Amino acid sequence: MSGPTLFGVRHLSPAAAFRLRKALDEAKPELVLVEGPSDLNDQMRWLCHPDTRFPAAILAYTKEPPVRTVLWPFAVYSPETQAILWAHEHGVECRFMDLPSSVFLAFAEAAAKRAALRSGEDSGEENSGEPDAPVTTESVYKRLETLTGEDHDTFWERSFEQLGDGEDFQAVNNTFGRQLRAASLESGRDLAETVVREAYMKRVIAQAIGSGVSVEKIFCVCGSFHVAGLEENQPMTDEEEKALPKADCCATLMPYSYYRLSSRSGYGAGNKAPAYFELLWDALNRGGVGEGAYLYLTQLAAAHRQAGNVVSSAEVIEAVRLANTLAAMRGSKYPTLSDLRDASVTTMGHGSFSELAVAAADTEIGRKIGFLPEGVARTSVQEDFYRQLKVLRLEKYRTAELQRVDLDLREKLNVKSEAAALGDLRRSFFLHRLRVLGVHFANLLPSRQEGANWGEYWELRWTPEAEIEIVESALMGDTIEGAAAFALKERADNSSSIAQAAAIFQDAFLCGMPAAAAHALAMLQGLSVDSAAISEVAETASRLSLVVRYGDLRWFDPAPVVPLLRQLYLRACLTLESACVGDSKAASAVNQAMDRINALQLNHEFLEEERWLDLLTSISDRDDLNTRCSGFAMAILLERGKVDEELLSREVARRLSPGVPADLGAGWFEGLAGKNRYALIARLSLWRQLDQYLSGLDDKTFRRALVFLRRAFADFSPSEKNDIAENLGEIWGVNARQAAEILMNDVTEAEQTVLDSLDEFDFDDI
Amino acid sequence: MAGKNVQRLPAEELYQTELDALISAETESVPTGWRMSPRSVLTYLTGNTKVKGVEITPKYMGNKRLVEIAIATLVTDRALLLIGEPGTAKSWLSEHLAAAVNGDSTKVVQGTAGTTEEHIRYSWNYAMLIAKGPCLEAMVKSPVYRAMETGSIARVEEISRCASEVQDALISILSEKRLSVPELGLEVPAAKGFSVIATANTRDKGVNDMSAALKRRFNIVVLPTPSDMETELDIVRTRVAQLSAGLDLNARQPGEDTVEKVVTIFRELRAGATLDGKQKLKTTSGVLSTAEAISLLANSMALAGSFGDGRISDGDLAAALQGAVVKDEEHDKVTWKEYLENVMKKRGHEWLPLYRACRELNG
Repeated sequence: MSGPTLFGVRHLSPAAAFRLRKALDEAKPELVLVEGPSDLNDQMRWLCHPDTRFPAAILAYTKEPPVRTVLWPFAVYSPETQAILWAHEHGVECRFMDLPSSVFLAFAEAAAKRAALRSGEDSGEENSGEPDAPVTTESVYKRLETLTGEDHDTFWERSFEQLGDGEDFQAVNNTFGRQLRAASLESGRDLAETVVREAYMKRVIAQAIGSGVSVEKIFCVCGSFHVAGLEENQPMTDEEEKALPKADCCATLMPYSYYRLSSRSGYGAGNKAPAYFELLWDALNRGGVGEGAYLYLTQLAAAHRQAGNVVSSAEVIEAVRLANTLAAMRGSKYPTLSDLRDASVTTMGHGSFSELAVAAADTEIGRKIGFLPEGVARTSVQEDFYRQLKVLRLEKYRTAELQRVDLDLREKLNVKSEAAALGDLRRSFFLHRLRVLGVHFANLLPSRQEGANWGEYWELRWTPEAEIEIVESALMGDTIEGAAAFALKERADNSSSIAQAAAIFQDAFLCGMPAAAAHALAMLQGLSVDSAAISEVAETASRLSLVVRYGDLRWFDPAPVVPLLRQLYLRACLTLESACVGDSKAASAVNQAMDRINALQLNHEFLEEERWLDLLTSISDRDDLNTRCSGFAMAILLERGKVDEELLSREVARRLSPGVPADLGAGWFEGLAGKNRYALIARLSLWRQLDQYLSGLDDKTFRRALVFLRRAFADFSPSEKNDIAENLGEIWGVNARQAAEILMNDVTEAEQTVLDSLDEFDFDDI
Repeated sequence: MAGKNVQRLPAEELYQTELDALISAETESVPTGWRMSPRSVLTYLTGNTKVKGVEITPKYMGNKRLVEIAIATLVTDRALLLIGEPGTAKSWLSEHLAAAVNGDSTKVVQGTAGTTEEHIRYSWNYAMLIAKGPCLEAMVKSPVYRAMETGSIARVEEISRCASEVQDALISILSEKRLSVPELGLEVPAAKGFSVIATANTRDKGVNDMSAALKRRFNIVVLPTPSDMETELDIVRTRVAQLSAGLDLNARQPGEDTVEKVVTIFRELRAGATLDGKQKLKTTSGVLSTAEAISLLANSMALAGSFGDGRISDGDLAAALQGAVVKDEEHDKVTWKEYLENVMKKRGHEWLPLYRACRELNG
């Protein structure tokens, strides 16, 4: 043989990995070259570390935003992994031979730019494409699928994974690659990229030969698709190599998960059932692919039992028999995954896959997450993340399962160390910082009950995506805190409204970062000079109020916030009255703001009460404002006990007098009913006045008033309505129960027809 | 087959030429008691090829994989249970499986509330029993008994409609694969190739629920309703053509758009949503199965052939639809009315005549 040994593989194929080791044992090479980024050879050291648990992935990322990433995943059954491990075990030199990661990233950038140009819009999503699946092969796979009537994975499993010992795996695989290449050689940029990569690989091989290793002693592991290319193409020249585009990038090793490896999570070049493939890998090492069927079915049965179902051994035995028959009908020696799954559905699942779905996901995809030993070349942010996880004792939540964490932010007084006393608070800071960085590791749940301000409820789940997001935040700082501070500052500088700035301030407060909070506050101050809508001012003020009230829980000094809060309060008081001029649509927003400012004033003594009460009285008294706002101001005054019986009755009489247009009168009542309803219900005189007012209306005005009153009562609860019914019964001299019965009864058919005829009634006409 | 004046021929006679062609073309090993290899059975059922110049028509047009599983089950001499909504071709598949494997699909026990244990095991010819005493001649063997003797497939239809003691009688037969006749001191072992294909209806769930012990003795295959419009159109078209040929209906085949309309209405009412998924609908109390759509079209053809001009008019179709959709007066009538007003009326001029005819009937 004239050239080096070219061993074509399918990435993530247990059989290929198994045969590869055998072939390596036989060939005893002096140099092993593996398809992978040639600038990242130093990462291999960590892949071979005894504490490393697969799956892991090499992640390369650009240093400049937008961050583009490229991933090389390694499972224990990847031929690449096994080649590297073999070389390590036998003290043989091993190197990657594919294009450097910087070139891949430069290609990805160019591709994204082209895509953006084509579509005319920005498709700047990160392009973490696996470098080994030229699109052109997809069409061949499609054709194969129609020919065999099976999906590609099953075809592969039947034809390649199950090759017997006597068959020359390498030759079969190389032939497949060659023919695949011949069938799929279409023009296009993907082809160009393939050629460039092959030329580069060839160059690496040539360099190795040049360095004195004899050709026969070089062993190359590459995708079988590339075998023909490596035989035919010319190596890349120095000039060509210099002309390659390069992106400024870094690389890191990261733990990976089977879930991400499986294509169920939308990762193109993954394999559908990583846990099943690992099981095949185990089977191969134990005694043959045939073992796989037993392993799969027993594991599936165990998982199904774990999920609380009954599975008898007889059913498992039947499943084995059925799977073998199905395989025989398709002409293969051993059952494939689809045979096994169909057989288990028929026997264990009583015909429906949904019964087995949970167990199948467990057995086929699995929850495995890789682990890397300490000291692995990581970005400093990753380092910091893992260090904090350890310090905060959150390591046990770094799993693929969703887990809940309930935090109690109060200082614990019965523990010795300060760290333990504030442990939950520190966790909260940490998780909030991750949230601010956009790392999808922790998800904040809504708090359980009103006023439980010391409790925080989180859902934690680790995904490789989260790891990537952490790596991406390396651009913003060297620690989680530093990066979060940068992110907050950037957001604050870009904020254009006080509501935005207040949200950022609150985030900074939750993250326990006073400096960032101060910056956001300064921005807020600056923005608050500009005019803002009353509802925005009220919302901002109530956010700040929260910080002032509960700041000490998070060890936050609220003093700098107080002046701003005062300022906003004053602003709100000065603009509220003019905001009350408006139509009924605007009125509800104004009322909400009024309610918030009222709560604000009640919560903070340093906010002048006098001013607020005067303002409310003025709004309540004025006739030229939106009557709903006036009514609501009245309701607040009533709640605060500033209105006596006499004043209320006089006001009701005035507002609901016959001369006042129905919409204004009823609108006022709606505002009045917007708050503190029990106080209203308890005042019988009020209902008497309302009754008098309504009976005094003529038919036409009554209809008009009806629309508004109906709206006013719409969000009363049934029991409140019942109370009102009782009041009215009292007034009309009807037995309270009878009245309630009539009001609470379902409508009869006759009434329904009347109501139906009302559907045609056009309220706009009135 | 044309010579016999029989309303419905069993599958093995109706498709004798296809079966013969497959048997003569056999190249693979044939399991004991079978007439052809499992792969040929699969070819017979899924069709769409030519064997020795004989066109093999498709018998089951759904998921090919399900048929494979069913056949593989029979190869492993396990009993097969086909479950599905009414009209999902359970009995149809079971009949053709038996026809292909044994050339005999007539060993059937029909499960009803009145089915007794004797129907599964054996009973006696009482005149003979009194005259001669217990002896083999006086015994009336059940289809299952005969299947055990000959090593062939017995079919049990609608097993979930049988009382539980009848179902239990099957358990011992399926697990021991023997049947004892204490009156004669006889033990009948099942010959190789014996198996049972049972069918059960999901709508009958709870009528006589199958015991776990019995379920365990079956491999269960759930037959789905056709997954997409195209498959269902295909099934309806083919079956209507076959049916009308057998029934000598003096009517033309229903037009493409007629079949499409019926299938559309059925699929929408079955799924409780319009095909585009934009509108939610009420579902009917009855099952609007593919089989029902087929018989509906045959029905309209009969109406058109006997009383009309041989072409299915919208009036015929409306009458048939009314009958198929409105099973439970109150509820279905409302459902149908809502469907007519909210969906069909808005479908444009092609649907208008049918809409008018339906509306007239539904009042």
